[in-house]
Amino acid sequence: MAGVWKEIRAALPPTEADFPLHFSEKVERSVVKVLEQARLQLYGSEGTSLLQHTAQTILDFSWEKLNIGTWRDVDKEWRRVYAYGCLFKVAALCCAEPGEAEVCEAIRTCDMGLLMGAAIMEDVLQTMVGILQGRLRRGCSEQAGAAEGPGAKRLKESCVSVPAISPAKEVPRTKCLPLDRFRMDYLNQEKPVILEGAIDHWPAFNDHKWSIEYLRRVAGCRTVPVEVGSRYTDEDWSQRLITVSAFIDRYILGKEEGDGVGYLAQHQLFDQVPELKADIHIPDYCCLGEGDEDDITINAWFGPAGTISPLHHDPQHNLLAQVVGSKYIRLYSPEDSRKLYAHQSQLLHNTSQVDVESPDNERYPLFGEVPYQECLLQPGDMLFIPARHWHYVRSLQLSFSVSFWWC
Amino acid sequence: MRMLRGKCRPMVPGSQMGWFGFGFNAFGQIPEAAKCEGKEGTGQNAEVKVIVPVKIACCDLDRQPKRESEHGAVNTGSRLVQIRASWSRRATLHLGDDGHVCLSGFGTPDRTGPHSVSQSRGCRDVQVSERHLTLSFADRVECWALEEVAGEPVWKMDHSPANEAGLPSALPLVPGGYVGTAPPFFHPLSPQLHVTSLALGQQHAVLLSASGGVFTWGSGSHGQLGHGELVGETEPRVLEALWGMAMAGVAAGNWHSVCISAGGDVYTWGWNESGQLGMPARALNEARRLTGQDGATHLQSDGEEDGRGVFISIQAFPALVDIPEDSEVTKVSCGSRHTAAVTKTGDLFTWGWGDYGQLGHGTPRSSDQPLRVDYFSNQGLCVLDVVCGPWNTFVCAVEREPSLS
Repeated sequence: MAGVWKEIRAALPPTEADFPLHFSEKVERSVVKVLEQARLQLYGSEGTSLLQHTAQTILDFSWEKLNIGTWRDVDKEWRRVYAYGCLFKVAALCCAEPGEAEVCEAIRTCDMGLLMGAAIMEDVLQTMVGILQGRLRRGCSEQAGAAEGPGAKRLKESCVSVPAISPAKEVPRTKCLPLDRFRMDYLNQEKPVILEGAIDHWPAFNDHKWSIEYLRRVAGCRTVPVEVGSRYTDEDWSQRLITVSAFIDRYILGKEEGDGVGYLAQHQLFDQVPELKADIHIPDYCCLGEGDEDDITINAWFGPAGTISPLHHDPQHNLLAQVVGSKYIRLYSPEDSRKLYAHQSQLLHNTSQVDVESPDNERYPLFGEVPYQECLLQPGDMLFIPARHWHYVRSLQLSFSVSFWWC
Repeated sequence: MRMLRGKCRPMVPGSQMGWFGFGFNAFGQIPEAAKCEGKEGTGQNAEVKVIVPVKIACCDLDRQPKRESEHGAVNTGSRLVQIRASWSRRATLHLGDDGHVCLSGFGTPDRTGPHSVSQSRGCRDVQVSERHLTLSFADRVECWALEEVAGEPVWKMDHSPANEAGLPSALPLVPGGYVGTAPPFFHPLSPQLHVTSLALGQQHAVLLSASGGVFTWGSGSHGQLGHGELVGETEPRVLEALWGMAMAGVAAGNWHSVCISAGGDVYTWGWNESGQLGMPARALNEARRLTGQDGATHLQSDGEEDGRGVFISIQAFPALVDIPEDSEVTKVSCGSRHTAAVTKTGDLFTWGWGDYGQLGHGTPRSSDQPLRVDYFSNQGLCVLDVVCGPWNTFVCAVEREPSLS
């Protein structure tokens, strides 16, 4: 892809002296030496032939640091070093007339830096990935078009068992609820409610209607974390980093033989792909919270029919917007936590041990008597889940939901 | 931990004992003997990956005329040395009347070869990390900061000279406890543990007691403690799974642990991310598939299995590793993500992460099963000892047969 390097190079500081490499005492001098060596290889006269190896050394070393101890204990400096490793690798991949494979690898590298690294040089990796994705799309749009038949234009639908909702237990629904009514009747009283007519103006329902084809076009080459395994409490549950396209092929369309249910769950995809963020709007209801708009966490939940989030609760209020497909949701009040048999371990203390839709009444005798609410969340619906309310979620079709956590 | 068993003793006096290195060399920490002895320095373009073992220059003093060494288990006419490595450096310990340590790699004044550390005169054991050099003497232990020109050690401990009968304990053990790689350096150990050797991982420790019991503590996030859970332990906890089997050696990588039994069996536990446990690893299988090394020998039905069963990511209990040829293992060492074992017959086996050539198989490739390093047998060498740096491996070997000179 001709011209890629020119664009990438223009996004880098003009000279070696302008390229910052400042780290705290945490980072040993030997490591800084390797970083400086990479910078020299990037700008120096001896060419960039060794840059990829040097970048890999930086990545390997910082990867080990990122995996020592728990994630929240990892010093931010090591996440910065990792991001630098990604930046040098991107430069190495792009500096010699990269083909499509190199550009895809460079995009994957940027994503790894965005997912595991910390922002460096005014978020240069976000700039890089924008350039690379633009290039790749220009290259692809010429061949696209007839590739996918009309059947593939919309998200594939395959149904699983749909539970009958008892009217007495159904979560109340309201249409175009004014903010003050929402505050008085639901937020202040911490009562769940389904808000209709609150999101159907989103581009995701209109001009940029979300479909497999659309998601593949705007985010196909992007690397995302995917949960594999029926539910996160299972022994064989794991997380993988794969591209959105690979996720669609393997776990949505079932083109490749998969290894269980795959779920692109609880991922801040909208920070990673700004184009998708433009397709949604932060609901006004979130503004009733005390936090800043910057404090709102927006997560994507994309997966086939049959994904399950076990009964659990979160510390913040949640507005769960259903964009594609439907989900069965069950809600329990925090007042009944005692009868919901949370896991003992620190990691899963917010998660119930009970399999909600087929509970073991002998092991969990009190569970059966706990009152609950339930609903089928349909495209265009938005469910308010008050903070600390227990919720169980199962997708009934191929589904894409967006959650807004706020307080 | 110095288990130099009889079978591999050199056949005749004068057989050459030598150290070899392979793996990560970005800082020139594995200089070839030939290059160091010659007129040319290795210069700035030292090979980053040494994938075939090379004989290494231990110190400038080696180039002086040889003297008979009075010390050491292997009396080869050459001085006995020990090697320790951090990520960017190699420390070489020379025993004898003039015990001292040489450093090579990052921070050495030039790249023409190792240089002797003046503070190390008379030292008996050495340990090196990215920031500190620990020196053990007959009557004291000192930690020196590598990146500061300091006149004083950053930590020091005096102790009564070890009595003549008892061997001084090997680092990181010191009287009353052990010395870590970062402040506060000293950590006490209960005398009731009767510790004989100790291996330190990044955030966990594996201890061998005099009775052959194994104790672990520290971070357990990847099963590296072997108690069957992924939680940490603040105090040494006995490894019940190995109870009743006498162990003879322990080693620790960043996220894995290894021990060998008195009978020469190898047990591993912890994270198998690069195959460092010697068990099927998913990442390696995918790499094999991508590079087409998989062959058509076993078609995979569901991607979950290879010929040896399901992939292991975390092994939270000790598991027996199958070393080819029913070999009895006498010595084991761990890098950050690889493992090396020496057998009674003088062979070296390696497995785990191999991207920098640290497995010595002539390729920068990982292996999730123990493979013999053919270089040494092909050269007619008998391996006596192995010490892994984080991303590289150092091997001590002697000639197996008398040479026909």
